[in-house]
Amino acid sequence: MVDNNSGGKFGGATRYVLDEELAKIVNISMALEMPLLLKGEPGTGKTMLAHAIAESLKMPLIVLNVKSSMKLIDALYQYDTLTRLNDSRFGDSSRDVSNIEDYIKMGKIGQAFTSDVRTVLLIDEIDKADTDFQDDMLDVLDQMEFDIIEIDKTVSAETRPVIIITSNAKKDLSDPFLGRCNFHHIAFPDPDMMRRIIGVHFPELDNELMDKSISAFYRMRQLDAIEKKPATRELINWIRALTADPDFKPKQLAKGDLPYLGVLFKKSPDYARAQAAVNGRRLN
Amino acid sequence: MSYQLKSEALTMFVNFFYKLKEVGVPVSPTAFLTLQKALSLGLVTSLDDFYTSSRAILVKSERWFDLFDQVFAYHFKGVELPDYEGMELDEMARTMLEAWLQNSGELSKLLGVDESALNKLSPEELIDYFKERLKEQTEQHNGGAKWIGTGGYSPVGHSGYHPGGMRVGGVSRNKSAVKVAMDRRYKDYSQSGPLTQAMVGEALKRLRNLIPVGPKDEINIDETIYQTMKNGGEIEIVFDRRLKDRLKVILAIDNGGWSMDPYVHIVQTLFDYAGAQFKDVKTYFFHNTVYSNLWQDPARYKKPQRIDEFTRFDPETRLVLVGDASMAPYELMASDGSIHLEERSGMPSLNCLKFLADTFPKSVWLNPIPASMWDYTRTIHAIRQIFPMFELSIDGLEQAVAHLMQK
Repeated sequence: MVDNNSGGKFGGATRYVLDEELAKIVNISMALEMPLLLKGEPGTGKTMLAHAIAESLKMPLIVLNVKSSMKLIDALYQYDTLTRLNDSRFGDSSRDVSNIEDYIKMGKIGQAFTSDVRTVLLIDEIDKADTDFQDDMLDVLDQMEFDIIEIDKTVSAETRPVIIITSNAKKDLSDPFLGRCNFHHIAFPDPDMMRRIIGVHFPELDNELMDKSISAFYRMRQLDAIEKKPATRELINWIRALTADPDFKPKQLAKGDLPYLGVLFKKSPDYARAQAAVNGRRLN
Repeated sequence: MSYQLKSEALTMFVNFFYKLKEVGVPVSPTAFLTLQKALSLGLVTSLDDFYTSSRAILVKSERWFDLFDQVFAYHFKGVELPDYEGMELDEMARTMLEAWLQNSGELSKLLGVDESALNKLSPEELIDYFKERLKEQTEQHNGGAKWIGTGGYSPVGHSGYHPGGMRVGGVSRNKSAVKVAMDRRYKDYSQSGPLTQAMVGEALKRLRNLIPVGPKDEINIDETIYQTMKNGGEIEIVFDRRLKDRLKVILAIDNGGWSMDPYVHIVQTLFDYAGAQFKDVKTYFFHNTVYSNLWQDPARYKKPQRIDEFTRFDPETRLVLVGDASMAPYELMASDGSIHLEERSGMPSLNCLKFLADTFPKSVWLNPIPASMWDYTRTIHAIRQIFPMFELSIDGLEQAVAHLMQK
């Protein structure tokens, strides 16, 4: 039972470099109509993937940024009581005050369900919400419908959106949740990949600085007993800091002289450890 | 081309499924049915596809990826590689060459050969040499040619010398699925096995759960007003959990003997990092087991503290002992069992341990030895009667923390 008019297969978008394995998993999840759960360190392009799918399949992208305080209902719909109160007091809008439906606004999931065309629904950083939220949301996504209590109406999806869920957490999500998703873990980019990423961010960067900073970055990532390893974002900021310093020479990096370590390591025990490692190397 | 599910193939998949289950990958029958659906939809046309899709559908956490890879390599070995045996030796020999180039001294020691003799060989000659050695190895020890495990199939055990490390994604691969599985790219994500320095960050997150949860007895005013209004004026009081005081922890580490050496530092780093979340962490040392004293100095010489005095501490303190619990039985049972003369207290160590367990009802013993080996050591068995014992691994730590936080 494959939905044939759901567009072609996913093969990667123009600006997103996709590995073959991941493309297969995306295609399989789309065919099975199951959400795809992506885990991986920050900076591995989990969110970018959803953008890339939307672009390459020419589907609109709807992003639900999960917040810790979020309730499921916020993601489904909102009943705008304040506007209704205002309208009933002043009555100068085109809305019909006696019709509650005029005051129902769709949340992100609601928008994905009511859209005329198939959409890509990105649920970003699901791990921020509590377990109940996660499980309840999967129920809604599974059944493809929800009720609007205020007007006693059921909203059911016309087309099943392509659902991509991301999680930064190392801890596992609940079993029922996992049972309804396909799963993939995106590994941290290797140095070659990182060169390409940095190249996109700093097209003008000279090769020496690129090589030396990337190799220093991977060396620092390998330090033991670090709580929060520096990720792509930290590297980009670090290179920015290095290029902004007029006194800095790329040669320093090769000698093990790494300035601005605080940009890479943001937790104080990590920073102390990195500092110690760097100093140790210089003495040797 | 659609994949025909012949009964033979089905048996193979079912066996594969049960093998995964058997080695401890949590796979659910529902997921298996989903996989069948994917197969019958014609989405899987090659073993490569099967590798990718079965992993995405069956395995829900990267920590199991490594185990999955090993089972996959074992189970589908030979499915598309009839000359697997030769290939396998080549792969291993190549890996050994890499290891040789990185650190010739270490490898020659492992092989028990003279480093300088091998240094004269060219890379090609080296590969041939390694292949010969590998053939001997497999014939002598394993009786078969399975590269996983020794003398049989044991994906959980030590999987031979494989310094290749984890291959990171982002590059398209043109290797066969079995070869990719054999790469063991996800080894670093696997969470079994004793703690290493590299795992400290991860272990720390487990330890972060070691925070107390108070009873729900604080009124949340905002929520109360909201709920009361929603109730049409009927008062509805909403309670929040009270934040209780932070915990006190006593850490007692067995730092005697080389068997504990690699772990002493890791455990200390771990608790150093987590220090801020506790009210107080006291670290003590002992050798093999506890007699009448614990020491505050790692040399176990200058600052002894009698365990009788531990009764002065808050009984709510969490006691964490770290040790391999392996010693001669008399060290534990005899009244003068200590191997250190000055420690002859007249009370068998077993009683001292019981005393500590009674003083601190919330205590655990962390053991770097894998749990599967515990039954073979008598003293481990004896100590487990007194302290709940957990593996010194990420999973073990998680269970230990859960145990310490129990009501």
